[in-house]
Amino acid sequence: MNPAIPGPPTTQPQGLPAAYADIELGNNAQRLPLLLCLDISSSMAGEPIRLLNEALTLWGREIQEDVGLSSSVEIAVVTFGGAGIGVWQGPSLLDPRTTASPFVTAHQFRPPQLTASGVTLLTEAVETGIRLVAARKTELRRSGLQYYRPQICLVTDGLPTDSQGMATDAWRRLVPVLAAEQGAKRFRFYAFGIGGISERGQQVLRELAPKYHATLKGFPFRDLLQTMSASASAEQQGAEEETFEQLFNRFKTQRSAWDS
Amino acid sequence: MTGRRVLLDGRPVVLLEQALGSGLEAAVHPVEGTDDLVVKVYHQPDAAREHRLRRMLALNPLAGRPVDGGQPPELAWPVGLAYGTDGGFLGYGMGRFAGPEHVQLMALFNREQRLRRFPAEADWRFLLGICWNLAFMTARLHHEGLIIGDFSAKNVVVDQRGFATFLDCDSIGFAAPGTGETFPATLHTPDYAAPERLRGEPGSVPSDDFALAVLVYQLLTAGYHPFGGVPRDSEDDVQISDNITASRSFVVRPEAMIIPRGLVDPAVLPPAVLALARQAFGSGLLDTAQRPSSQQWLAALEESRAEGAITICPRRPRHAHGAHLARCPWCDRADETGHDAFNAPEQTPQPPPTGSPPVPEPLSPGPVIHGVTPPLPAHPPGQQAAPSDGNDPWSDWIKPLLIGAGVVLFFLLRFHWGV
Repeated sequence: MNPAIPGPPTTQPQGLPAAYADIELGNNAQRLPLLLCLDISSSMAGEPIRLLNEALTLWGREIQEDVGLSSSVEIAVVTFGGAGIGVWQGPSLLDPRTTASPFVTAHQFRPPQLTASGVTLLTEAVETGIRLVAARKTELRRSGLQYYRPQICLVTDGLPTDSQGMATDAWRRLVPVLAAEQGAKRFRFYAFGIGGISERGQQVLRELAPKYHATLKGFPFRDLLQTMSASASAEQQGAEEETFEQLFNRFKTQRSAWDS
Repeated sequence: MTGRRVLLDGRPVVLLEQALGSGLEAAVHPVEGTDDLVVKVYHQPDAAREHRLRRMLALNPLAGRPVDGGQPPELAWPVGLAYGTDGGFLGYGMGRFAGPEHVQLMALFNREQRLRRFPAEADWRFLLGICWNLAFMTARLHHEGLIIGDFSAKNVVVDQRGFATFLDCDSIGFAAPGTGETFPATLHTPDYAAPERLRGEPGSVPSDDFALAVLVYQLLTAGYHPFGGVPRDSEDDVQISDNITASRSFVVRPEAMIIPRGLVDPAVLPPAVLALARQAFGSGLLDTAQRPSSQQWLAALEESRAEGAITICPRRPRHAHGAHLARCPWCDRADETGHDAFNAPEQTPQPPPTGSPPVPEPLSPGPVIHGVTPPLPAHPPGQQAAPSDGNDPWSDWIKPLLIGAGVVLFFLLRFHWGV
């Protein structure tokens, strides 16, 4: 080997902090962190949560088949419901004290089995998501790896609540944060209202994601996840903003008869 | 499920609803009842595209060259225009080059994908052969006056023998014979765009040569992009295209940045290839006159594939390297980092980081033999067919070389495939 070229060999791998050991050495694809922020509160119980689990499994397989995405997209799941906020690394719920990253490359992704119960800590879940994405970017950067603009995808069928299940306006503190972070191109934030989300619930999503919000009839999780894949592909191709808007516009074809 | 009826070159065909792929500009649909034809349907078909495609149909690039031995064509060239039953222009038909037989080049950049989608014996020698094929394809297209334009790891597929095919031909730049019209190549993929393209210039011969240089570098160094890495002084998000614009390549100036972890030493490149890489990512980055041409790449790659230029490592399967190295770089890297760029990890999972649950091991595509294994039979990838046109001045120098290589290849393949 040419000694003039400072290669990685002797020091680098050992020099990596333990927390970065999960950045696959054999995978040099530019990463695209994708964080799913999923509502698993009690209103999702029964058929909806079953559909969500099924869609995550199918989508996980689909994305592995996509040569362009399987090595690039890194998936993390944050849930809100049950006892609070859950952070998942693939199928495993992470210990809140861990320093391990929840992001798993798509080709290694195995979906969690989610159950529905509890309250809708939407605000805290989104904040957790923002924090995890920022931490992941730092890890990647320290490893000398590039990344595309991350995507955070919020899916909910209800109104944000506090830990007692009471509706709260705490989500308003997210609005300026999301606007500033996206203005700085730190990530894209998508918000989907599903099931029988109320008009007030939709209003929350509209304010959180002025451009990228959509209300879907029923629980078309697969469609929604495929949109995330399409958005990831668009990001890799260096698409312009309008492409991402177009991706969302198809969800907006059904409108209230009262809308102009 | 009935699909959409369209007229392809005047002939009624039915498109299957499930697209093979969908991009920013179009979706590619299979055609009912045939395995070798697809139709690319634009999201927004317009008259300009229709006109461009009409002019393309009048061209028949590479028509005269042989594709013996089942070699796929080098271009998924349009075979006919597609119209709706209402007469509206929709897109065009082309040959089908889909998986699992044809795989996007980027799958060769990492071990898991390579093991999963390519023959078990795909090693560095196979990758070197693919580089040769890419250089050949580029040189051949340039000779025909075509500009690839959107040359990327996504837009090229290779088959199981390493033959390369360029997919999105509608973005190729060309001049229509007779009419004097020129159709510039305007699309590009930022990671493969030369600095001048990132400034907005259309595709050119040197910009194709830049993309070729990047692809060759990635293929031969386990997928590391020569403009990967993050500048030391930056806390912002830095894209590969930012590094290209700022002339930041670790191949030339490794001290300027945080190099990607586990970086493969550029010296795994055979000396002639390394010299071209340094030139392409150094002085030739901004000065296109200094940028190595596809023919220079072809010559350097030919030299690197010559008899005696490749050493097969006796210690681990799938380890091949240039004979310029006294030791196997892949073994050294595996010993130092615990990561073997060509062989799946042992089935004993690594202990997870403290406090974290175990990450499931990716499914192994099959049993892996560890330890000392005899080298696999010689298995060079297929070689793109040589031009057959006798009046072709370009072929003069390459012809004897190709005939020689072809004869050797014929016997090797006969032996290998047991024909």
